[in-house]
Amino acid sequence: MGGSPRSGDTGIGDVAATVAAVRAGPGYAVTALAGLREPIVVILLLIAFFTWISGKPLDGLLMLVVGVSLAWDTGRRRTRPGGPPEGRQADSRPQDISAASRDDARGVGPATRPGGPPAAARWSRLMVLAWLAAGALYALLVGSFSRYSWPATVPVVALGAAVVVAGWRGPSLSRPAPAKLPAIGLALWGVVLAAGCLWELSSLLQQPSLTTSSYAHPTISTLTDPVLGTWVGRSIFLAAWLGLGWFVVDR
Amino acid sequence: MNSHDVAVLGYLVILLAGIVLQLLATKTRAPIPSLGKVFSWAMGTRARRIGVLVAWAWVGLHFFAH
Repeated sequence: MGGSPRSGDTGIGDVAATVAAVRAGPGYAVTALAGLREPIVVILLLIAFFTWISGKPLDGLLMLVVGVSLAWDTGRRRTRPGGPPEGRQADSRPQDISAASRDDARGVGPATRPGGPPAAARWSRLMVLAWLAAGALYALLVGSFSRYSWPATVPVVALGAAVVVAGWRGPSLSRPAPAKLPAIGLALWGVVLAAGCLWELSSLLQQPSLTTSSYAHPTISTLTDPVLGTWVGRSIFLAAWLGLGWFVVDR
Repeated sequence: MNSHDVAVLGYLVILLAGIVLQLLATKTRAPIPSLGKVFSWAMGTRARRIGVLVAWAWVGLHFFAH
């Protein structure tokens, strides 16, 4: 019933070779330092720190876990000889849906072209409607709970974690690598993003304390407090959050 | 104009800058990518993709999580 001695030897040999490769590989410190050279890792760790000290330990802990995991993953990729290159091709996994399926999902594929299978087109539209209905239900239900309560925390944390884990495995869509973007334009978007973060940080640091809001130096959280104090406001905000997530994941 | 107004004005200016960039990207031939293209580029590698998704998740956590 078992495998032949030859195949068993091969299996043991593979394990031994893997163990030897791990032992011969770079140390933990080298791997961690290589991971810290990735700017995203540093940004995540900084966000984790500032989130933690501003009275949000759960957020900070989750950011820390992701930052350390990404540092380790990036370090391993960079220190592994002949490791796969970064990019869409390297990240692609079998769960990626095909371009044809993607086109179908967007209503531009064969299923929705004249002459295409009408059942598939109907199915695609139904799926989109189902996602929209689920999103609306999520926004209404979670929005009905008061902020920072556990019933609101659990679904938000669960969805956020699920999306990050799914993103770790690879892009949800098999898109071709985008053409190189003009550096000047990319830099301008970076300036706007950095300005927003620095303005928010400036307001945060000018509060009486990191956990006490200030009317004179409001953060975005302080400004949105009145809106998020109502069920309707929370539901609209959550719907916008879900929409943004859909937009990002669809890239 | 007090410091509250200045703070709010700052946020509005930054938001306006983003809108102007998006309009320049979509309505002119300026060498500026649209926000969609920037996100497509950002989702191209694992590190950047995780950064974007974590930023999105962080917004939800920040405003709603305990």
